Amino acid sequence: MSPMSVEPGMTTMIRVDIAADLNDEDETGFVWTYLADARDLSLIRPGGVVIAGEPDSPAVCEVVDLVEERSGTIVHLRLLPGTIEEYGALVRRAGIPV
Amino acid sequence: MGDVRDRIEQRDRLRDEVLPHDTVVVLRGGPDTLVKIVRHARRTEQRWALDGVPLLGVSVFCALDPDGPASFDGLLASRMCSYRVVHRVPAGKLLAAGFELLPTVGRPHYTIQMMCGDETEAAKLLAVLGPPRENWHHESHVR
Repeated sequence: MSPMSVEPGMTTMIRVDIAADLNDEDETGFVWTYLADARDLSLIRPGGVVIAGEPDSPAVCEVVDLVEERSGTIVHLRLLPGTIEEYGALVRRAGIPV
Repeated sequence: MGDVRDRIEQRDRLRDEVLPHDTVVVLRGGPDTLVKIVRHARRTEQRWALDGVPLLGVSVFCALDPDGPASFDGLLASRMCSYRVVHRVPAGKLLAAGFELLPTVGRPHYTIQMMCGDETEAAKLLAVLGPPRENWHHESHVR
């Protein structure tokens, strides 16, 4: 994993739930990746919220669906608005224990 | 690597679109590395084919419009907002370096086609893409 700035002056290590190239899109208009690139398969369920991408460029995404293709199981991801830093700030602001 | 028939053929799916390569800027969320380019190109190769052979390539977005979601600023602010840094290069520079830009799936997505997808070719592509530059729209969310 690579260090990533989450707040000015701070760095942390981001562990993604599923590796993806967030530049990738297919005909659905969603980001796609392979289920085989998930760290924990149980996290990858339609409607689930996951951290996707690369450790140095992650994003918060919603799992849209899983589609069986001959090359493997495709996971479609919807990029959620904002940045991962904003979600982190939201959790801290709400005082949610992590 | 599997049978090419397991892949989705892209030729008939390419958009009928002429890329104004002298004015268009190509954007790719980064930071990219040799390892990432090779890995992402292999992922494309695993799923897609072009003219009956596996398609090696990496995804980019082209700033096709002066404003709106497919503009330079529109892409940075929305589709690429999660990226702290992006690579950006004039389309003509990529083409001059010998790379093909394929109008894949929905506008303004493109795929930079690679020939062998090895580290040498990835290094060439990385050099053309240039250094990662700050995405000020991401930073405006962070601050």
